[in-house]
Amino acid sequence: MKKRFLSALLLLAVAMPVAAQQYGDPDETPKGAVIKRDENAKPEQRYANMPDEAVPYRRFTKPYYDWFVREDTLQYNGAADQRPNGDPAQLSEIAIGFMSPIENNPESIFGIPELHGAQLAIEEANARGGYKGKPYALKIHNESALWGASSTELVKMLFNENCWAMVGCVDGQNCHIALRVTLKLEVPIVDVGTTDRTVTETRIQWLLHNFPDDRQQGYTLADYVFKTLKLKHIGVLRTQTRYARIGVGEFNAEARRMGRQPILEVKFERGDKDFSHQLRMLRDAKLEGVVIWGEAAEAGLILKQMREMGMKQPVFGSSRIAYPQFLQIAGPAAEGVVLTSALDPTRQDPKWQAFREAYLQKFHEEPIDYAAYAYDGINILIAAIEKAGLNRGRIMDVLRDYQMKTYQGVTGTVYFDHTLNNISPVNFARVKDGKFEYWLAPRQAGHEGAAHTGGQ
Amino acid sequence: MKSTAKKTLLAVIVLLATTGFAWAQKPHLITRWENYTTASGMPDAKVFCVTVDGSRVWAGTEDGLVLIENGKVAKVFKPEDGLPHRAVMGIAVDKNTGDLWIATFGGVSHFSGGHFENFKNLTSGLLNDICYGIAVVDQYVWVTTTAGVSRYNTYTGEWTNWSEKNAPFHEPWSYGVAPAGDKIYFAIWGGGLLEYDVKGNYWKPYTDPDEEMEMVLFRNQGLVHIIVSNVAWNPDTKMVWASTYFGLSGYDGRNWHNYLTKDSGLASDFINAPKSRRNEVWACTDKGLSMLDYPTNTWVSYRPSQQKGQGEIEITWPNGKKEKLATPTALAHNYILNMDFQGEDIWVATAQGLSHGIREPQKEAQLYANARNHRSPGDLAPSHSQKGD
Repeated sequence: MKKRFLSALLLLAVAMPVAAQQYGDPDETPKGAVIKRDENAKPEQRYANMPDEAVPYRRFTKPYYDWFVREDTLQYNGAADQRPNGDPAQLSEIAIGFMSPIENNPESIFGIPELHGAQLAIEEANARGGYKGKPYALKIHNESALWGASSTELVKMLFNENCWAMVGCVDGQNCHIALRVTLKLEVPIVDVGTTDRTVTETRIQWLLHNFPDDRQQGYTLADYVFKTLKLKHIGVLRTQTRYARIGVGEFNAEARRMGRQPILEVKFERGDKDFSHQLRMLRDAKLEGVVIWGEAAEAGLILKQMREMGMKQPVFGSSRIAYPQFLQIAGPAAEGVVLTSALDPTRQDPKWQAFREAYLQKFHEEPIDYAAYAYDGINILIAAIEKAGLNRGRIMDVLRDYQMKTYQGVTGTVYFDHTLNNISPVNFARVKDGKFEYWLAPRQAGHEGAAHTGGQ
Repeated sequence: MKSTAKKTLLAVIVLLATTGFAWAQKPHLITRWENYTTASGMPDAKVFCVTVDGSRVWAGTEDGLVLIENGKVAKVFKPEDGLPHRAVMGIAVDKNTGDLWIATFGGVSHFSGGHFENFKNLTSGLLNDICYGIAVVDQYVWVTTTAGVSRYNTYTGEWTNWSEKNAPFHEPWSYGVAPAGDKIYFAIWGGGLLEYDVKGNYWKPYTDPDEEMEMVLFRNQGLVHIIVSNVAWNPDTKMVWASTYFGLSGYDGRNWHNYLTKDSGLASDFINAPKSRRNEVWACTDKGLSMLDYPTNTWVSYRPSQQKGQGEIEITWPNGKKEKLATPTALAHNYILNMDFQGEDIWVATAQGLSHGIREPQKEAQLYANARNHRSPGDLAPSHSQKGD
């Protein structure tokens, strides 16, 4: 009995330093002690270019199987390409379905610019001659706030309007419904606005997604808050929406895996004006920083009320806050806030500048990220149609070829992983002197694709 | 020493006995395929579902409902005939009345006496018009919709609905339904497998325990993935089988048994639907139709071969060794969406037509005899019992 006890003690004594070295406080862990890499080895297949700290269960075991890191992730084995091609001579137009929140939906502030971006791209394509002389036409459908109400839109696009593909989506739920329908009906979807990370985690071979998702935003923000600033006690304030619930998930997950689980997560409703109850809770929790996952209007008010209450903590937030409306509402209270941003609108490269000017001229407003990604999405799709012809299976084949490749658009360099999701690094936007200043977030190196995504 | 020798001898005897048993229990084979395509009167190449009702076979296609009788397409029903939508996703037969219940992308339809009675979201209590699975149990019709589960009481005309609002749906997007005696199982996209106890009126969810979309943490961890595409109940073994796009999961009420291509003879991890009876578990995958003979852990997969018109049978023996056999006919396509049993035969819905798979004992014996002549003794192994990792 005594011997067993001594052996157990000895084992514990030997194991403890190893455990401490591998799994201890990240601040005290020597560099490179968490995961060692062989310099000569092939780049590690790491889904979504995850930072080491975000890898689930990494401290305990290696998964039995990893998805989304292989070339056959979206391998298509169906017969869509064997369907007869559409004959442009028999068509008056080349229909492309479009679905985004346009009316009766609080997310129309993103959906309308998304529509405008798509319309601009269609107009330019038609100015170039359309498809074999036939104009492209957007068939516009509203993404309803009452989700489920939009469930039949893709069905109508195929059977009533003969659409060759669908572009759009802002809300993850509606996009999921369209995705499930298209698994059966086989209509390519170019998702240009969803941040919901799970949309591309289904192995359904009919969707390409270019808007920076919650994983990329969450990892970027978590890296900055916990690794760069080395904060430890964080609180989260988010809207009571699926966007924020799913959105903050990856930030929270990385935080938890680093031993930095947010101390408090409080919620508010879209349209709320008074946040004093939530802010008192956060103030009493003695936090070092606050993360807001929501939209510009509420975030602006939150900042104002926070500072009025004497809360001086640094504030961070998601990309839907990084708009001029936030600066207008928060005023000087916005100073120092750091947000993820899907776009750097101060870029000077010719593609962005040309798009910005054309958009301004047509719509008399500055383009936002949703407009730019929609513009790129339509252009990606039109190039695919022009390469493949009027066959939905072959159009999707061309889109699937973007796997582990880049696309250079007005949004910058977009890099698609094995799930056809854009895993390019996102931007940061910091408020300085009442304006946003942007910089590209650094990414961890060593993974497959990292070199294309700003890995350092 | 003597004792060790005795033990070894005994082990060899047991091994030989079990291998002999495994050989004697070799799975039956489908040796002939008859296909129904647009050339033979199907309204569309893509067949989403198939349901056998005695000698009649019903198929749901992208352009209508098809009745097959006496080996030919007997009738095609389209929206102009009263069907609520051309895309037919699920078909169920009411065994008491002989009526048909049909799930479409435009609501649910009751086909009785040659007439369609349609139920839509706007005109009935149906949760949503995008309907996938359908089943009839006693007087109830169960429908899986994109917004949750709807139940129609054919006696009272009352609808009852379940979604994330009143039941433990992690997500409401429902795909498949499988009656299982006092219980009913539902395949939920992003919500795992849901079990509804009819008598107790309570729900029990089974979700992916690792809670991560991008991995399977342990082989037999529980449900293999949260995105469940369909579900089947085996009344003989009392096991429920869930298909996912990430492998196959079986639950015997105590343990989970998961299968991926990396550890089994499964044709693909992308599975549209399972089906199960006796010792057989069938998986409709995007790379062919797989059948697991559960007690012996022997897999048989069917797919069209590279040679036009010919079929390929791939047998994966319990020791992992694979063997390929050729058949003169083949499945209509490798992309399999659904299937049903008709006696010893099977009917298979594929992306390029409906296939009727026929067992021919004599040809099966011939195929096995040919295979046996080419197999080394080491190819046979005892039936396995799956280890939990």
